[in-house]
Amino acid sequence: MMIKKVVLVILLIFLSGFSAGCWSHTESTEEAIVLGAGVDWTKEGLIRLTTQIASPDIYASAGGGGGIAGTNPASWVISAEGRTIIEAENYLAMKVPKDIYWGHCVILVIGEEMAKKGTGMVISFFTRDNEPRETLWFMVAKGEARDFLETYSVLTKTSAQAAGFLTRMKKGYSVQLKQFNEMLASKGVQPVATLVEVKEEGVIPNMAQQESPANKQVVISGTAVFKEDKLAGWLDEYYTRGVICLQGKTVKGAVCVLPSPGEPGKKVSITVRRENIKVTPFYDGENLSFDVNIRVEGNMVEQQSREDLAKPDKIKALEGEMEDEIKRTTTGTLEKAQSEFGEDIFGFGEVFHQKYKKEWRELKNRWDEQFSRANVNIVVKAHITDTGLLSKPVGFQGE
Amino acid sequence: MLEQGKIDSKQAVILMMNLVLPTALITIPAISVQYAAQDAWLSIIIATAAGLIIALLIVNLSLKFPGKTLFEYPEDILGKTMGKIIGFLYIWTFFLYIGSGVVAEFGYFLNITLMPDTPAVVFCIIVVALAGFAVRNGLEVLSRFSQVFLLVVALLVIIFLFSIKDMKLARVLPFFDAGLIPIVKGAFLPASWLGEIIILGVITPYLSKPGDAYRVGVISIVIDGSFIAVSTMVVLLILGPNNTGSCLYPTFMAVRAISIGNFLERLESVVIMLWILGGIAKVGLFYYAAVLGSAQCLGLKDYKPLVLPVGVIMVAIIALYFGTNVIETFHYISLAATPYVLVFPQFGIPLLLLIVAWLRGKRGRNIK
Repeated sequence: MMIKKVVLVILLIFLSGFSAGCWSHTESTEEAIVLGAGVDWTKEGLIRLTTQIASPDIYASAGGGGGIAGTNPASWVISAEGRTIIEAENYLAMKVPKDIYWGHCVILVIGEEMAKKGTGMVISFFTRDNEPRETLWFMVAKGEARDFLETYSVLTKTSAQAAGFLTRMKKGYSVQLKQFNEMLASKGVQPVATLVEVKEEGVIPNMAQQESPANKQVVISGTAVFKEDKLAGWLDEYYTRGVICLQGKTVKGAVCVLPSPGEPGKKVSITVRRENIKVTPFYDGENLSFDVNIRVEGNMVEQQSREDLAKPDKIKALEGEMEDEIKRTTTGTLEKAQSEFGEDIFGFGEVFHQKYKKEWRELKNRWDEQFSRANVNIVVKAHITDTGLLSKPVGFQGE
Repeated sequence: MLEQGKIDSKQAVILMMNLVLPTALITIPAISVQYAAQDAWLSIIIATAAGLIIALLIVNLSLKFPGKTLFEYPEDILGKTMGKIIGFLYIWTFFLYIGSGVVAEFGYFLNITLMPDTPAVVFCIIVVALAGFAVRNGLEVLSRFSQVFLLVVALLVIIFLFSIKDMKLARVLPFFDAGLIPIVKGAFLPASWLGEIIILGVITPYLSKPGDAYRVGVISIVIDGSFIAVSTMVVLLILGPNNTGSCLYPTFMAVRAISIGNFLERLESVVIMLWILGGIAKVGLFYYAAVLGSAQCLGLKDYKPLVLPVGVIMVAIIALYFGTNVIETFHYISLAATPYVLVFPQFGIPLLLLIVAWLRGKRGRNIK
């Protein structure tokens, strides 16, 4: 009995020694953690993979001292070329002295040329491989993705995280890889993605005298519109607002600037809190039309005029103007989609599919042209819920 | 009797959940969705009905011959030679065969999702060795072990609840998009999975109250069916039919995509836990049935000496039947294994036995 127990204990110790490790084991200090990936199409017809790799020392040191570029870099950007993403990654691995780890990749940026060539060549790896997550933010860069990743962010240390935060807060149109895949796979909607670019914005005050005052910074600048998996064009911030609204999403804190009812020269700002859209398709075998009902809720947060807006009829007037404004935006976006791009980027096809199952089977392969010819009737209902902390403007003297 | 242990009906239900769910939750959505798209959950409901029929069939048959297993009563019905042939048919073409399919799936899943550098066969050997250990210790140990599974299922349900904000009802609309035929096509695979309940033919004699077998069968099938339907629905709501259809393991992908409040992420470890714990018990059950059956058919006094050889065979026939990569395995399971097990071991043979028993006037004795 005693011997048996001793043997068992020895066996257990042996086992724990062997089973702790496994084939694919790497120490976290031996990993090069990719924060952002960029893919470009080079002039030579190769795929260039650019990775922004986190430099772990920055995150390890308490207080995050070295935030200033140059002294203690937060990240390292390196790229390699290949015929496929994996081949490029292989060449990359020859330059990176650590094991490349994709699990923490926050963003995937596609360069303009690559997007025109087709995203199909890119997204396969990022969905198929088990390391990158489908929740990474997908975006298209104006110009080259490499330039985008080579920028630096003062607040979040790396530009990949900066772009990740910007999209996560949903200030513009933001889309995750899995949502992009879903749009790509559906015949009822053409994919759209965040459009980003590099701009010289912001200064670091104490360095302003010696060095260049503004540094290159990532900014969201609109929406990239795809036809199948190829980039078709883009929409600016104004129309992006329309895309978001017509897709039934809400931008947090989107603002409507309206003329003040009594003093048209001065402006009033309204923040949109909630947005609700209902799309109803009608189809009689030939003519396709849509009724779009949008309900918006917002609150008044700013006024330039001196008039007293805290009156039911003034609020009514403001609501009317808000309705017109939103209708202008959405109609403009819709016209752009129908005439300029000639495709359904709002997912109206999916709504149609839900109502007309049989007809969809015939229409789905030529949906975009059907959609372009469709009559869309937009009705907006706006509701202003409050006027901030004030009822009357500050410095209001009465009459 | 070879098996001394007894299990109560609650344990039996958990055992049956463990029999179907681990692999079903993870692989069924992929294949059913390929046929029925967003209506795959309706396929599961049809499959559940089929599963109920199979369960009632086998319980009815088992209760006619109290104290005897699926490997023994064919001899009473069809005579010694035919009975032995049926018994061996069950052992070889069902318990061993499907068991090794489960082992293969188990290995490939861990290989693909977690440790790509480790050969799948390593996982296969480990799971069979662990299951073999449980099998050696008998049915009671196996059923106690499978109770752990409940905990993991509960965890999965909690994750599903948390993921509500990632779901969109529009993804499963419209209902009945492609009509009835694709839905029925999508039902075959889950039906064969639920039909694994045929193992009740082996378990029933060891229930502390064999009369409960009907209840055990019905309750287990309903629980299993609704779990599979719910998880298919959740996967569809999170990923949508197009993405689900192109995933190898959609449930895993869906859980990966869940992010709760931007900090609770990467919950797929729960799915892996479910797979490992459930997989061991599931393999164990098939393994146990194969070992017990062999001992009963060969008229041995003890089944323990058979544990090692049967385990070796189980790993060895993976390459023989299920191909050498995951594509071949899935292809084989959905195109060859499913029709065979549904038609013969799960439905045809029990029905045949029941009819012959009825014709020969071997009505069941009363069961206390």
